[in-house]
Amino acid sequence: MSNDLDASLRAALRPVDPGEALTQKVLAAIEQDTAPQPGPPPTRQSGWRWASVALTVALLVGLGTAHQWQLRRQERGLEARRQLIEALQVTSAKLDVAYRVVNDEENTENGS
Amino acid sequence: MKRQAYLAILAPALLLATRLASAGPPGQLQLPSFDSLTGKSSQSVNITLDGTLLGLAASFLDSNKPEEAATMQVVSGLQGIYVRSYTFNKDFAYPTAEVEAVRKQLVPPTWQRLVQVRSRDQDNVDIYISADRGRADGLVIIASDPREFTIVNIVGSIDLQKLHQLEGKFGVPKLQLSVGK
Repeated sequence: MSNDLDASLRAALRPVDPGEALTQKVLAAIEQDTAPQPGPPPTRQSGWRWASVALTVALLVGLGTAHQWQLRRQERGLEARRQLIEALQVTSAKLDVAYRVVNDEENTENGS
Repeated sequence: MKRQAYLAILAPALLLATRLASAGPPGQLQLPSFDSLTGKSSQSVNITLDGTLLGLAASFLDSNKPEEAATMQVVSGLQGIYVRSYTFNKDFAYPTAEVEAVRKQLVPPTWQRLVQVRSRDQDNVDIYISADRGRADGLVIIASDPREFTIVNIVGSIDLQKLHQLEGKFGVPKLQLSVGK
């Protein structure tokens, strides 16, 4: 009886060759576990970094452009101011010529 | 036939629209370029200040300084200031035809001559004013002597009283004008 049981157990637990397919499966699973996996978090971090760099560059370019525009506006404004004053000087000088001539003629008429 | 009728109506309308667009505001003259004189003259002043540039110039005036505040008063209401002034080393070197072309634009009823001065020293000054419903909207000064001619065209609402306030400021001579006479 005990011999039968012993024989049954030996038969059931005998070493069996798993075959090449199992070996390949196990090796593939090990390889997959140990390989570096590109996860979503590093990709997102890199995207933010580029976005912040682009934003900073855009901000600097924008500030530079605004500064240049302000300088050009100031130059144009000061030039326009100078021209305005010169135009008023010329206008007044010519009005003064008219006044002087009229005044001289009046004085001559009154004197004679 | 219909097409020709449309063209007959459209062409004059377009011509009129183009003329109106190029005419500028009332009180503004079509000034010749006088480009040929820049090399011949010993001194030249060529100022073109349209409404935008006048506004910009006014924004660079300091209202806390009395003379600049007075200028701001003069400029408010103006739509343009145009000055062409040339000085020569020889007598009558300037093209009288071009000056006459300017004079020909100054005809009634738009333009009225306020002052015509002819002196013995050949200092000639003509002052014209353009008015619409009793309100001055343009002033032209044509001044010439043998070696110089100047054309000034001020466009917009002109207040001679305010112009008078500039006397003695920025080197503007004392005009001693009797405003209102």
